Amino acid sequence: MVDALNLRNLAWALTTLFEIILFSYIIHRRVYRTHQAFTLYCVVALLQGVLVAIAYRYFGSQSIQYFNIAWGAQTLVVCARWLAVIEIARKLLNGYSGIWRMASRILFVAGAMILAYSMAVSRMRWDLMITSADRAVELCIGVFIVSLFLFARYYRLAISSLERQLAIGFCLFSCFWVINDSLYQHWGNSVSVLWEISGIFSLLASLLLWISAVRSATQPHYSTVRIPAVSMSARQYQELSQELDSRLKLLDSRLNHLLRSEDSRS
Amino acid sequence: MSLALALFILLAILLIILLAWAMRPSKKLSLTPDEVLATLSEERHYARLPQILQSLREDDTDFLLDRGRGELMSRLRDERRRIALRYLGYLEEEYQVLLEASRILATLAPELSAMGEYERLKRSLRFVLLCRYLRWRLRLRLQPWGVFGSISDMAGDMTLRLEMTSARLGERALMASDFPLFLEKGRRDSH
Repeated sequence: MVDALNLRNLAWALTTLFEIILFSYIIHRRVYRTHQAFTLYCVVALLQGVLVAIAYRYFGSQSIQYFNIAWGAQTLVVCARWLAVIEIARKLLNGYSGIWRMASRILFVAGAMILAYSMAVSRMRWDLMITSADRAVELCIGVFIVSLFLFARYYRLAISSLERQLAIGFCLFSCFWVINDSLYQHWGNSVSVLWEISGIFSLLASLLLWISAVRSATQPHYSTVRIPAVSMSARQYQELSQELDSRLKLLDSRLNHLLRSEDSRS
Repeated sequence: MSLALALFILLAILLIILLAWAMRPSKKLSLTPDEVLATLSEERHYARLPQILQSLREDDTDFLLDRGRGELMSRLRDERRRIALRYLGYLEEEYQVLLEASRILATLAPELSAMGEYERLKRSLRFVLLCRYLRWRLRLRLQPWGVFGSISDMAGDMTLRLEMTSARLGERALMASDFPLFLEKGRRDSH
């Protein structure tokens, strides 16, 4: 147990160190100019580490004060993470007004549904309430980011390397956190130290990814917004889209003819 | 472990797999605006369907067997199957080009209908799956070149629809004469 506690302290120290490195790169590369929400998230995460360490030192890990401070800070971090994820989504889709309007609605509805479902199936056990809520939010973030990438892939939208890596970091962290919370709910307090350490290590992995992304970001690279400078009117789009749809339907019907021919034969 | 917990873990793993899939480099079709316009104004492969269907009819080659030329008949059928496969490939290719054009349009559109996009996605998935199914059947010679139903009716129906579509497309092409320039500008600015 002592070893585990030492490992946890080491992991904490490493996390804080990596967060400081990330923050210094954000300042050095001036990423804060284009990614305010991500910068805010880094600041909040850094402050959380300091706050939790102080609370741990003064109140001890079993005290209610420590519990309240740790989870209160975690709530702020999750909110800041949401803002950072939404910022990435906006950067990715904002230039494509039609896609952004449609995707934002779908993404938020899907997120809300996942959140509601996660809370509904998590049975109202007060002792697990916080981890259930935490898992629901993390799952929601994961679904949001994956859906965002699926949209980008479907519409062949260009994603800058910085945004891609930031989003991957958030998504992987959220997914591992969901797994972590689920295992904790099953095994209970017997794995609490391990749960905490694996949570910290997943954050470390994400931090490494973000550091690498921010470090390799150059000014023109991340300020280039790949958006079309022209847009068409709703009427123009409607006409051309209908035409495309009719052609697609026509091809579809050709295939159906071939298939029906086969069916009638067999 | 309860089912709900197992589902959460599975969902998280599924998300990681989906993320990896979404990150793969896509086979990007490099469409020029002219090609996009061509997809809207040209009719390319539809008209050949009646001939393809005709060539796949068993009775079209049966006479060779009657004359003791079984080998020639099977060679001819193999050849025709290859042509049918190629036709299928063209259909699929054309479909992909149209889809690509619709994606380019979507990036320029001020408003998209979620249902419309969903329908298009659903149709394209179905199309791809059916194409693979048909190709698989043709390759495995599951196609016995049998009765193809009323081909002439089908062809007639097709011709009628094609004529209507072509006429509409012709009008559209005239209306959209500035479309390539418009798209070209959009593409230049986005790269």
